[in-house]
Amino acid sequence: MGGAGWLFLFAVLMAAGLLFTMVFFIIMFSDLECDYINPIDLCNKLNQFVLPEHIAHAFLATLFLLSGQWVAFLLNAPLLAFNINKIRGGNHMYDATEIFRSLPNHKKESFIKLGFYLLSFFYYLYRMIVALIADSE
Amino acid sequence: MASPSQQLPPGWAAEWDATNQRYLFVETTTGRSQWEPPVAGPEIVGQEPSGSPPPAHHHGKRRQYAAGQTQAYYGGDSLGPSAPQYGNVPQQPAQLFTPGLAATEGGGQFAQQQQIQGGQQGYYAQEPEYINGPQQPVYPVQPPAQMGALADQFGQMNMGQKGPRLFTTNLLTSPPEPLELRQPPPEIFLPPNSCISPSPLANADSSYQRCTVNALPNSNSLLNKAKIPLGLILTPYRSLKEGEEPVPVVTDTVIARCRRCRTYINPYVQFIDGGNRWRCCMCSLSNEVPQLFDWDQARNQPGDRWARAELNHGVVEFVAPTEYMVRPPQPAVYIFLIDVSHTAIQSGMVATATRTILENLDRIPDESGRTKVSIIAFDTSLYFFSLPPGGADSQMLVVSDIDDVFLPKPTDLLVNLSEARATLETLLGRLSDMFQDNHTIGSALGPALQAAFQLIAPIGGKIMVLSSSLPSVGTGALKNREDPKILGTSKESGLLQAASPFYKTFAIDCSRAQVSVDMFLFSSGYQDVATLACLPHYTAGQTYFYPAFNASRTEDAIKFAHEFGEVLAQPIMLEAVMRVRASKNLRMSSFHGNFFVRSTDLLAMPAVPQDLSYAIEVQIEDTITAPFVVFQTAVLHTTCYGERRIRVVTTAVPVTSNLSEVFASADQVAIATLLANKAVERSITHKLEDARDALFNKMVEILIAYKSSMTAAGAGASAQLAVSENLKMLPVLVLGLLKSVGIRQSAQIPPDLRAYAQALLTSLPSQLLIPYIYPNFYALHSMPPECGTVGEQGVIMPAPLPLTSERLERHGLYLIEDGQTIFLWVGRDAVPQLVIDVFNLPNYEMLRGGKVTLPVLDNPFSQRVNAVIQKTREMRRGPYYQHLYIVKEDGEPPLRLWALSCLIQDRADVLPSYQQFISQLKDKVNGSSY
Ligand SMILES: [Zn+2]
Repeated sequence: MGGAGWLFLFAVLMAAGLLFTMVFFIIMFSDLECDYINPIDLCNKLNQFVLPEHIAHAFLATLFLLSGQWVAFLLNAPLLAFNINKIRGGNHMYDATEIFRSLPNHKKESFIKLGFYLLSFFYYLYRMIVALIADSE
Repeated sequence: MASPSQQLPPGWAAEWDATNQRYLFVETTTGRSQWEPPVAGPEIVGQEPSGSPPPAHHHGKRRQYAAGQTQAYYGGDSLGPSAPQYGNVPQQPAQLFTPGLAATEGGGQFAQQQQIQGGQQGYYAQEPEYINGPQQPVYPVQPPAQMGALADQFGQMNMGQKGPRLFTTNLLTSPPEPLELRQPPPEIFLPPNSCISPSPLANADSSYQRCTVNALPNSNSLLNKAKIPLGLILTPYRSLKEGEEPVPVVTDTVIARCRRCRTYINPYVQFIDGGNRWRCCMCSLSNEVPQLFDWDQARNQPGDRWARAELNHGVVEFVAPTEYMVRPPQPAVYIFLIDVSHTAIQSGMVATATRTILENLDRIPDESGRTKVSIIAFDTSLYFFSLPPGGADSQMLVVSDIDDVFLPKPTDLLVNLSEARATLETLLGRLSDMFQDNHTIGSALGPALQAAFQLIAPIGGKIMVLSSSLPSVGTGALKNREDPKILGTSKESGLLQAASPFYKTFAIDCSRAQVSVDMFLFSSGYQDVATLACLPHYTAGQTYFYPAFNASRTEDAIKFAHEFGEVLAQPIMLEAVMRVRASKNLRMSSFHGNFFVRSTDLLAMPAVPQDLSYAIEVQIEDTITAPFVVFQTAVLHTTCYGERRIRVVTTAVPVTSNLSEVFASADQVAIATLLANKAVERSITHKLEDARDALFNKMVEILIAYKSSMTAAGAGASAQLAVSENLKMLPVLVLGLLKSVGIRQSAQIPPDLRAYAQALLTSLPSQLLIPYIYPNFYALHSMPPECGTVGEQGVIMPAPLPLTSERLERHGLYLIEDGQTIFLWVGRDAVPQLVIDVFNLPNYEMLRGGKVTLPVLDNPFSQRVNAVIQKTREMRRGPYYQHLYIVKEDGEPPLRLWALSCLIQDRADVLPSYQQFISQLKDKVNGSSY
């Protein structure tokens, strides 16, 4: 298996991980809506995952950039920019005092990310298979 | 319950009628039945025709009357469907009230209820009575709700007036009338039989809870047609002035609640099954009546269900049994965090504060002798005071390690107020002198807060912060981010957001530990009020700001001492949670005010403050089929006497499918209060400009909705700008909001003042908020002779003028006040006699502008002016004590402009005059129609 194959295998695993993180986020948000969890615990829990998620995504994008996978990189660039912008603005963490006011937005964002990771998961899978086939020929 | 049959005259029997929820009285010999309890004696006969008249006779008459009335006002449409419908109701809702009792009391009840009604007064009733008859608006004024209820009791004479009536007014031709704002909110016309109590207090007074519409649209689409924002404005803990009826307390711990939705029993439930069960007014579930509900525990005998407070009062307090306690009731705890840095000492803040605490030690709630206090001073170090019991001297412990705050001593820092009283008094007397030569500049507010938190966290309570400078060292240090260049630009809202996450996360810790924080801020420079105010905001406290405080000006010292003293003396209620429940298909969608939202509908308030207002937006989720809906606010808290209590505030509002009723019952004061809260939120999350646009657009939307659905113009252009009479003041209130310091378009407002104004806009109850955005303006030189003297309702006030400088005469003396500040405007041609009489100065030239205390002189005019000022300071609730400024017409420009900025109907810089604003609205309203 060549470099591209390994890269996309890694990407598939990462995308699967990120996918689960988003599912976890969404479950937690609906727990909050049903009063199964209080906003303080929710934010403490979710905030542990925010930076790792962003870093994992940024790492993946960097890998694509370094290995010259332009299409894959460009695919990830908008989300990367969005994340960086949020961190620079200092509002990437969930704020327990505002969580109920911003909950609809958070949910929307998580769903969009979920969709994005799902699509990219299949894209990486496809690219991995293509790379494997190319290798075997 | 006690059967009323024992009290009946011979020949009568009482039958419980399940469908109508009341006793039916039958004369056994004739078979004649009636709802009124029969009386043997002659008392009642005088009022009611003997032998109840055939109902049909009444109806016919009434319906005709109704139809005639309707036509006279409407040209025969709108009200049509509802009025006759009411006419067919077979009985009055009134005489449910204690069948036996009502009979014996007869006529006395009327007078009695009127008295009660006088007791709980609302926003409008608090305001002075105006005797200048001609100034009163001339349009028909609806009788207050209570009168309607009373009228019902005497045979439904008022049938033709049921339902809100819509009067259209043209904004272009009718200028704002300040007295309108003192009118009671539109009457709530509940369908007959919705309330089981005839008491006028069955619906909570509008000063406790009011809805933006007093006839709720039955579906979201109807609400969207009206465009009126739907919300609740509450002040569950408003203070009581002398002579006001206290909130009744149910002491027997029998608390009937719905099994499903946990609603507390209230005057709008229905008793079914012979009175053994009650049907919830929110979710219609049938619940059992608790066994002891009809038992008088005090006298140990059967009690009278109909006399129970919770069935007769919209505002009631229950003593809660132990199930409602998480832990044994804790004592009240106060920790004073006093800034003793050089600036604080020099401004005299420390001396004034310690003296105020000393003078108010007796007023701090401590009935059971359990209240605890502690004092921590701070500059860049922390100074703890050990107060050993038994009169020994206090000892100061200095902690200069502010990176890792620790308590220097495990005991004696937080002490019992009554035990350590002597030591405490000595310490308070000396504190200011101890730091007299302190030259340290800077503030370790964050570490001081952490230390106080360590001390208070095991119990919970109140931290009172008195700070004179920007926190500069340790955790929570803030930078001076004031930048004149970004004022007035789109970046300005950044300055209104919290600069450091510390104050938010710390607020959450406080909320969890049941700690509430009050901020008293005094800086002359930038202090980042926006960030510091987060702490009171999320812990249900309040921010008080005294910019450039200097105690050498007695006015400053008096104001602060008065307000601080009032806050100290407030009853403290701890560990509170507030929840608002509403009928099916209504949902509380967002919350505004000082608290922490702990779950979707639970508001955590570590200490319940008095006279703070909360605004809650309500959503209609599905079509409402019920004839009326109920909003119920419940606040569970621990009193300072160690008792767990629940305050329940219930408001019932009818549901309508008629758009005209929605408009006719809209409450402009409540709408303005809700809009103020929404505007502030928007200015922080978006931009100030967005907040202003949203306000303006909301106003336009309402006017378009009114024009297209309620006037003949429909969607076409119109030469009029129509709105219902009861919304006539809404445009000027919106203009007032657009011009208020918290929202106004300006590059001159320091961010601290703006942040403080926003804190006021989101926390002041309507009674204080309305003058804050639409100030009161009186002409004193020409006030009628009785103004300023004591009348039946206290000092008689002059009539308020519209807020325009056209009313300023060059020889006049005027008073402008917005609830926070009083301006005494002196015209340049003021006659020397006036200046002598009021200011004790020979002439106008000798007069100095600025903050003053007005002398009380030995002449009637001076005394009347002083009485008006005194009344202005006292007539509202809340701790605020207004500064008095003398403004000369040709005096210093900043002061003059400040006073003139209160005259919001004038044009000021880029801000439009009322006329311009109205024509902008008109253009928008006509422009958008196609
Ligand atoms: Zn229920």
